[in-house]
Amino acid sequence: MQLFLQNLVNGILSGGILALVALGFSLVYGIMNIINLAHGAYIMLGAYLAWQLFTSFHVDPMLSVPLAFVVLFAFGYVVQRTVINRVVRAPVLATFLLTFALSLVFVTIALFIWTGDTRGVQTSYAGANFTLAGVTVPWAKLLTLVVALVITGLLYLWLHRSKTGRAIRATSMDVGAAQMVGVRVAHVYGITYGLGAGLAGAAGALLTLSYPLTPTMGDPFLIKGFVVCVLGGLGSVEGALVGGLVYGIISSFATQFDVTILGQHLSGTGLQDVVALIVLLLVLIVRPRGLVGRATA
Amino acid sequence: MKAGAAVGRRAGITGKRWVFISTLAIMGLLLFVPSFHNDYINLTFRNILMYAAMSYGWNLIGGYTGYVSFGNVAFFGIGAYCSAVLSKTGIDNVFADVGLALVMCALFAIVVGLPILRLRGHYFGIATLGVALGLTDLANNLDFVGGSGGLNLKQADQAHFYLYYYAMWAVTLVCMLATFFIARSKLGYAFVAIRENEEAAQVLGISPTRYKVIAWALGGMMGGAAGAVFAPANGFVDPGTAFAVDNNVFPIAMAILGGMGTASGPFIGALLLSGVNEILQEKFLWLHSLFFGAIIVLIVVFLPRGLMYLVGLRGGVRRWLSDLRAFRV
Repeated sequence: MQLFLQNLVNGILSGGILALVALGFSLVYGIMNIINLAHGAYIMLGAYLAWQLFTSFHVDPMLSVPLAFVVLFAFGYVVQRTVINRVVRAPVLATFLLTFALSLVFVTIALFIWTGDTRGVQTSYAGANFTLAGVTVPWAKLLTLVVALVITGLLYLWLHRSKTGRAIRATSMDVGAAQMVGVRVAHVYGITYGLGAGLAGAAGALLTLSYPLTPTMGDPFLIKGFVVCVLGGLGSVEGALVGGLVYGIISSFATQFDVTILGQHLSGTGLQDVVALIVLLLVLIVRPRGLVGRATA
Repeated sequence: MKAGAAVGRRAGITGKRWVFISTLAIMGLLLFVPSFHNDYINLTFRNILMYAAMSYGWNLIGGYTGYVSFGNVAFFGIGAYCSAVLSKTGIDNVFADVGLALVMCALFAIVVGLPILRLRGHYFGIATLGVALGLTDLANNLDFVGGSGGLNLKQADQAHFYLYYYAMWAVTLVCMLATFFIARSKLGYAFVAIRENEEAAQVLGISPTRYKVIAWALGGMMGGAAGAVFAPANGFVDPGTAFAVDNNVFPIAMAILGGMGTASGPFIGALLLSGVNEILQEKFLWLHSLFFGAIIVLIVVFLPRGLMYLVGLRGGVRRWLSDLRAFRV
């Protein structure tokens, strides 16, 4: 029981940040049909921004989260308006290749500025944890989860209540009709992509609390974000949240997996992602549109 | 031929004929690369051929059948590991390597393809990505393939170094010709019919599942063959080299740039992208990825449909600009 609870808590803690990572990816994917391969690069840029502020000015990464969001939002907006909007209606593989190339550019620039050395942020509360009913909870991870959930909630409200949020959702439903009622699609696309980049940046700043930094640190998160947003259902805030938590919990429980087949020892710690991916495949076969996705044509 | 009528003229399915003939001519020239007796040139062109073969593999499922896979590197990895395991048991023969890789890749494609090819669009893409990642993790954890430490193969001496070049050349040529003839056969028309409209294809009596699995398996065998030749030529296989991210993305990028769903596109794309990459790497050791990325950005912005679009363009610059305008918001 103790072990079960600990695994559950670990899963939820790591699932929160995955949800945040997937959220930005899912928005861009669901609303503009862009497979944003630069998402990992934005996570990395947000993380390095937080690291730089911490190293130069001793700013706590938690305080860098909103700043990383704003800076990367502006950056993403400019990238969308100047480059991606030019080919956004081309077949999906064109933007796929474009964002791959953009990520190559960003990662190389980061490599040039910060070199390939592994960096880390050492906060005063880095190793601190508390124990509740026998379950150990690290403060840094709990804080990360809370911030991730707050951001997700704010985004949900903003998308559903604000005028711009509704314009974004309208554009994702029908570009032509949205244009007809006065939505400036180029601007809305810029905002959507900016949101995607900003959320990635915020996630990156949060990640510095528990992950080491390298210019390619975004790649595994890009891939997990991709998986999580499909697991939950594309383009919806709820989907990213459910998908992230499910992915986190599954891969946490997978660490307990331990078998020996034909003399071949398989330990779960190295196979967490394999188990999570097998679950993804099963989910897709049973529910081809994800856990929260609706069956629309 | 029923499906073919919906697709259009015969020449359209493999691209322009003169382009394909030029491609074959370049392939012929590449046969003389080893006569430079320069290991660097040899290696560079072997890599170009390898990427071309993988790109042909992706092109069959992604370009012709319209099922965009993000996990074709799985087949390359399987092929590479087939050679490594054979070498471990004392068999160092490139024909045996390729033969085993073809069988294993076809089996893997059928077993995995039957469930995941029921998925459409992005969901298929993500499932293939999952398959590739799962195999990577598995290779990292299985002791008999060396785990994360990888496996050493018999080191290639100078004579074998050239042998592997010719082997890779042959694999690529077979991929190219196979694509050309498959595309013009009933099989190819079935693939394209599925790409254009899966329901309509089904109404015409094409079983989508069967043809999708065939396309996926044939493409997988191409990637697997490339991997099977790569491993002994490289002398070492580990999960990082067999399932490298570059090996996953570059072939797709090459097919898009050269022209998806044509018989020359992947080769032209491979030649172009690898060529640009090599030159940049030599000129700017540090920042070559920056310029490489910037060049791809420019190509996509100005030629979002690849080079084959330019070859088939009628109406000059004005038409080109108006086509480009249709893609912006």
